[in-house]
Parts: sequence; structure tokens; C-alpha cells
Amino acid sequence: MIKIVNLHKKFGTLGVLKGVNIEVNKGEVMVIIGPSGSGKSTLLRCINLLEKPTSGQIFFDGEDITAKKVNKNLVRQRLGMVFQSFNLFPHMTALGNVTIAPLQVLKMKKDEAKKRGVELLVKVGLKDKIDVYPNQLSGGQKQRVAIARALAMNPEAMLFDEVTSALDPELVKEVLDVMKDLAKSGMTMLVVTHEMGFAREVGSHLIFMDEGQILEEGRAADIFDNPQHPRAKAFLDAVL
Amino acid sequence: MQGLIDLVDKYFSLPVIKEVLPYLLKGALFTIIFSAASEIIGIIIGLLTSIVRVTRIKVLNHLAIVYVDLFRGTPLLMQIIFIYYALPYVGINLPAPLAGIAALSINSGAYVTEIFRAGIESIDKGQMEAARSLGMSYIKAMRYVIIPQTIKRVLPPLTNEFVALIKDSSLLSVIAISELLRTAKEMMTWKLNPSSLTAAAILYLIITLPLTRYVSYMESKLKRSGV
Repeated sequence: MIKIVNLHKKFGTLGVLKGVNIEVNKGEVMVIIGPSGSGKSTLLRCINLLEKPTSGQIFFDGEDITAKKVNKNLVRQRLGMVFQSFNLFPHMTALGNVTIAPLQVLKMKKDEAKKRGVELLVKVGLKDKIDVYPNQLSGGQKQRVAIARALAMNPEAMLFDEVTSALDPELVKEVLDVMKDLAKSGMTMLVVTHEMGFAREVGSHLIFMDEGQILEEGRAADIFDNPQHPRAKAFLDAVL
Repeated sequence: MQGLIDLVDKYFSLPVIKEVLPYLLKGALFTIIFSAASEIIGIIIGLLTSIVRVTRIKVLNHLAIVYVDLFRGTPLLMQIIFIYYALPYVGINLPAPLAGIAALSINSGAYVTEIFRAGIESIDKGQMEAARSLGMSYIKAMRYVIIPQTIKRVLPPLTNEFVALIKDSSLLSVIAISELLRTAKEMMTWKLNPSSLTAAAILYLIITLPLTRYVSYMESKLKRSGV
């Protein structure tokens, strides 16, 4: 479903991605781990076209989305993204956040968007926060609204960029639980995370990145139990 | 003691003020109309120009910079005189009220541009990214996500700008518009007593004080909400 071919990204002279190749199939949960600054987030941001790759190609359902003539807005409608810093719209209620894109981008009818928005907020466990503004929500609640907001566009795949890194430890689980449910429902997911427990339990596929390259790739359990590359080994020893 | 009595007699003469007040009120009404009309047009000009500035559309951006520099960097009085007295030579013949509103609007537009630009740039860039990641176009992201948040933040500086504009509108007296200050000066020569100026000053305060109070209120409210 998502195929990345020889992706390079440079910021000025600094190479952040150095020839990344990935293939994610439908329904797979691809977890990307690695030390800070290894290019994990940049990779996700390239897939969502928030960063323009320096070279290489990204195919989404067979279409090269790095091609010039591609309508970025249409690609992004099909790819949900959740950020580390939530980025909820502070001037809208939880429901407003979830319905704004369906209303303005998909031109969905008001009742329909509202009905679907409420459904999604219930699904992420925020039934009693529907009309609450973001500044009255905890970090975990904010992030669950952000997930519902991305889901409201009915994306074909979801990108999670360190979505629990800004959360207090006791709020991490509620967000991961929502992601687990999502994975179980068959959503294709790319997850950049430092939550190794989650990576192992939910990840169908795992990638270890360092310095802009994929150093190890395979089934999550295999890599955790028996990492091959010395740097992957050192990293896992340090974090587990 | 005699000095004090003379001062009260010349500058705080109640009988004179009572007599000229109806004329001054009419002048004040003109001041409000001219300022409000110019502020509205200035906001429209400023909002559009600020969007040109933040999107950095090449040629337009340079034009916008020239416009802002030119009108913020020269005296408003000069701009009013140019628009009213110089433009007729190139065939643009605006009647005084229109020339006045044009000058004030274009001048305030330059200030409003910078207020909006600062406001837009103060919004966390994650907001634009989140909006774009949902598939919104740049324009929709601006319209539904960035600008509404900007409005809240720019209301205090925008109101301050409006207060400045109200006071600056007194410069329209040079092209014979009977706004508050000009009316007061006319009353002064008619009555041979400058108490009308004092009354005009009080009227200016009555117009501007609620606005400056409102700014303080908004600023403290924004601080509390943390938006």
C-alpha cells in the first residue's frame, strides 16, 4: 500500500534520510524505532508531504505521490496524521476539531459530520468531552481527539509521530489503547514511537533506524529477541 | 491668583462650552464616521496585504513591503496633502471626504498589515501542518484555522491602532473636513475663546477611553486563557 524507494532528504547539507526503502502492506502496523535524530519523524513527514524529499519516490496505492502533478491535498485526505504536540485547533471544541475537515474538505452535510464526529469521540472514550475546548483537556484526551480528528477523514492509512512522547506517563496507556483498537480493526499504520512494549505487542513489522538509514527490519518479536545489527542491539539494550 | 482665574475663563468657560457643544458633537460624529470607515477599509487592505506577506508571493510581496514602508515611514499629514492636492494633476480628482478616507485607510492599512502579519506568524506552525495534514488547502487552512486564531490575538493591537487613527483623523482638518478638531478651532475663532478646544479634548477622551479600557480587558483575558 505504501512503498518507499531510495528516499533521501537533506536539510541544507545535513543528510537526514539516506536511501530509505520500505514497503507497508494493507492492514500492517509498521513500527519505526531508533534514537532521536535518526530521521524517523522526517520519514513520516515525507510520506505526508509535509517535507519534500530531496530524491527518491513514495508510492501510495501504486501512485507516485512525490511526482510534481500530484494533488497533495487529495493524498493527505487519504493519509491521517497524528503529531507529538497534538496540534488541536484551540478555537474549536473537540467536536469542532473532528468535524471541520469533513465539513470543509469533504463537503459532508452538517448532521452527518456531527453524527460521525460524535461516534468517533465515543470510540476514543471521550463521550463526555464532546463540547469541551482543548485547553480543558488533559494531554491524553487531546491526543485522543487528534486521533479522532484524523479518523474523521476516513483515511486509508494512519501515521503516528511519537504521539505519546509529550504525555505524562500515566496518560500514555489511554492513547496506546486507542491505537491498539485501531490496529485490531485492520487500519494500516506507520508508528514512530519510543514505547517498546507497544512496538512489540502491536507491531506486525518493525524497523530500526539510525542516522537516516534502516539498519534492521523484520518481525517485531524477532528483532526484540534477537537483534542482528550491533547498533540495534545497543539501542535495545539501553531502552529495554 | 489672577492667572488662574484667566486660565479658567479662557480654557474652561462653561457658558462658551455650552454654546459650542452642539457644533462639537457634530464634529465628533464626523470624526467617528471618518475613523470607523477608514479602519474598516484599512483592516481589509491590511488583512489581504499581510496574507501576501506571509505567503511570500514573489512580486506581490515586494510591492507589499514597499507599500508598508512608504506609508509607515512618511507623515500622514503629507499623505493626506498628496492624495488631495497632488492626485488631481494625474486626473484623480477626489472630493475632500473621499480623499480623507482614502488617505486614512491606506495609512492604517500599512499598520494593520504588520499587526496581522505578526499575528499570523505567532500562531504555532503545527496548526498549519495539522490543517494541511487533514487535506485542507492552504486557503482553507488560513480561513478556518489560522485567521480565526489570529483575530483573537490581534484585537488588542488593532484596537490600539484604531485609537491612533481616531486621533490622526484630526489631520483631515487641513483639507477642510469639519471633523472634531477643525470644528473646535472654528469655534475658538468665532468665540475668541479656546474653551472649545478643552471640550473637544474631553470628547476625544470619551471616544477613545472605552477602547483603551477594552484593550486592557482583552489583554488580561488573553493572558488568562493562554490562547
